[in-house]
Amino acid sequence: MNRRDLISGRHLGWALAGAMLAMGVGGLPAMAQDKPLVIARNMDINSLDPHRGFCDTCQIYFSAAYDTLIGLGPDNKTLTPKVATSWTVNENQTVFTFKLDPKAKFSDGTAIEAKDVKWSFERLKNLKGSPAFLMDDVASVEAPDAQTVVVKMASPNSEFLGMIAAPYMGVINSKVATAAGAVAGPDAATADKSEAWFLANSAGSGPYTLAGYRADDELRVKRNGAYWRTAPAISEVVIKQTKDAVAQAQMLQSGAADIAMQVDGETAKTIKGGNVVVSTIPSYNYVYIALSPGAKSNTVKLTPEVREAIAAALDYKGLIDFTVGDAGRPQPSPIPNGFPGSDNLPEPKQDLAKAKQLLAKAGLEKGFEIDARFPNMNVYGVDLSQMMQKVQQDLAKVNIKAKLQPLTFTVWREAVSGDGVPLTAVFYAPDYYGSAQYVQYFAMMQGSPWAKRAGAANAPDIINPREADLLKQALAAPADQQNKLYRDLALEMIKDKIIIPIVSPDMIMAHSKAIKGVRYSACCNLPLDEIARN
Amino acid sequence: MKALALLRRLGLPMIIGGFIVLFWIVVALTIDLWSPYDPFSIVGRRLRPPSDVHWLGTDGLGRDVLVRTLYGVRHSLPIALVVVLVSSLGGAMLGAIAGYLGGKTDSVIMRLVDITLSFPAILLAMAVTAALGPGLGNAAVAMVVVSWPVYARLMRAQVLTMREREHVEAAVAAGAGRVRVLTRHILPLCWSPVLVNATMDLGQIVLLAASLSFIGLGALPPTPEWGQMIAEGAVNFYQWWVALGPGLAILSVVLGFNFLGDGLRDLLDPRSAQ
Repeated sequence: MNRRDLISGRHLGWALAGAMLAMGVGGLPAMAQDKPLVIARNMDINSLDPHRGFCDTCQIYFSAAYDTLIGLGPDNKTLTPKVATSWTVNENQTVFTFKLDPKAKFSDGTAIEAKDVKWSFERLKNLKGSPAFLMDDVASVEAPDAQTVVVKMASPNSEFLGMIAAPYMGVINSKVATAAGAVAGPDAATADKSEAWFLANSAGSGPYTLAGYRADDELRVKRNGAYWRTAPAISEVVIKQTKDAVAQAQMLQSGAADIAMQVDGETAKTIKGGNVVVSTIPSYNYVYIALSPGAKSNTVKLTPEVREAIAAALDYKGLIDFTVGDAGRPQPSPIPNGFPGSDNLPEPKQDLAKAKQLLAKAGLEKGFEIDARFPNMNVYGVDLSQMMQKVQQDLAKVNIKAKLQPLTFTVWREAVSGDGVPLTAVFYAPDYYGSAQYVQYFAMMQGSPWAKRAGAANAPDIINPREADLLKQALAAPADQQNKLYRDLALEMIKDKIIIPIVSPDMIMAHSKAIKGVRYSACCNLPLDEIARN
Repeated sequence: MKALALLRRLGLPMIIGGFIVLFWIVVALTIDLWSPYDPFSIVGRRLRPPSDVHWLGTDGLGRDVLVRTLYGVRHSLPIALVVVLVSSLGGAMLGAIAGYLGGKTDSVIMRLVDITLSFPAILLAMAVTAALGPGLGNAAVAMVVVSWPVYARLMRAQVLTMREREHVEAAVAAGAGRVRVLTRHILPLCWSPVLVNATMDLGQIVLLAASLSFIGLGALPPTPEWGQMIAEGAVNFYQWWVALGPGLAILSVVLGFNFLGDGLRDLLDPRSAQ
């Protein structure tokens, strides 16, 4: 070996040592963050268009790909600036003015302007998709200059700022979407041809962009290279379709997934090994059964007495025990525990004598048959099929024979929106912190999604005019009076007995110890941009 | 001595198969008389492991798994019998007509057989049930749709061989009509393979019915049907006993019918046994 060889060997050694040091300091973590984050989840996606999609998985995706004007803080109550740096509201809460961040830009690098916000809000309203109820009170959206958006309401709306944080209110790049066939005008419901485009592309300003979607397989997002706020730590996130809780837990334990989102209490107990963190958090999500007096397949008229009898026949404590054990709480009204108006509501109780008495009054002491179709899913740790079997047993005690039929989610959705389903079971997660969403979605007001599903067209007597009136008052009321008005609304919805909440399950979030920043958000389910590898 | 000779002639597989099938038939007919629990009632805490009170534990709703498993035979056996009866009679009849008449009738029936057989049985059964709607009745219709072609092929092959036999030619020469020749001189000699296949198929139909129920297309909850019960066991994966009972029941029934079918074949066709 000559001197030249020795020198080059020494240099090589130093170079190797340097490279290893560099990797140790910055390289390895960087490589770790480049590894895709895998979330095992049973996806319920119905569309990837923010103005059409309406589902729990949609909340995760839309909040990752489409920034909203305002965000919801980690306390699930505080509003935080996002695309809008500041906002003002007039005294009677009818005019909302937002100042946009001049730095805000879409994933293609173009600046977010007020016209994009106007276009997005108008499309949400005119497309008349499931989340369009968020725009019910909006009379006009104006863009006086590139950085200012003025939203005028038809009537006062104290919750509109909260609604702005809902993932469906994300700002879309109007130029890109229009080129793809999206329409925001009054004819959007029929003229818009962009739904397929949104399944393969995103056009937002969020921390991630859509990298690919295969139904019943995976949803993949990658870091938005042009993100204008703090870039997310993880470069790619994959939501992997994993139907049941056991498979999700196994994927987590084997290292094939980093997060298992829908693990139930029983399965969580079986998760072993020091590399997994299982946390149980009270959630605002809930599972409910719903009655449709206007459904075509009803064998008897579901009058208020019959509905009350059905509600009184249910063993709520037993149902909670059978579905989630001790990892859940009863919920009296469609407004979830912890939201305005949910304080001190009467807890639902089983009263078989009352149920029988009510049925006898309705001339149905011998009982009747009711068609019960529901999605065959496990949501928030609740197996709906198991829950409905318990409901069937409870109803049998008052001679009501429920004919159970589990369906795939898509078939169920068509059935419930078509001829209606007399008795069904579903689930709901909030879109923002505020109670008006529950009233708008569940109350028996003309045009509300559940008034339609309950068959208001065939059974107009289910409409409760007091609810529309109370909602109007609640939205116009000062903050100190809102609680009482929403409580009155909750009592009215309890009286309707169309929506009968069964359980508010705790959220069990199981994830690998190698990641941090996993939290439950009331608007967005799981904020992906806050997650990082340790 | 005669009994021993008969047993020897029947063979061990047929005896075992016969006992298993007999056991399930007796259970199906008498369970109401001696079952300690109702299969739909909650009789204990949910998801309890096997104990001296509940030998196979309790399921997700606290129902006795053993009782539900035993009641399950009341759904599986009748459905298998009906499906096999309808598909074997229907298929065999079509096969006989095709084989005996030949020509265009044969071509039409056999192309129909080919088309049906070109689909995997489970997929076709799923598609038919999905189109008709979930439920054991519709699942039975779907299973008939997928099962008849085998019998048609089997019977056609038999009829093709038989119709060339001298006794058939003699009957034709004596002036016997087509129907008489087919029903009196050909069919009585063609039933053995159909019978063997039908016996074997009983187990397969039980399995197919359970598969359809497992994926939510067969029995609807809370029916104590084996496939439906295994699906419930999949939800409570770590409570192994929930799926154990129905799993063992399916295993035993399929094994029982297969043994019985094997034995029958040996009995009816000694050449194949050799």
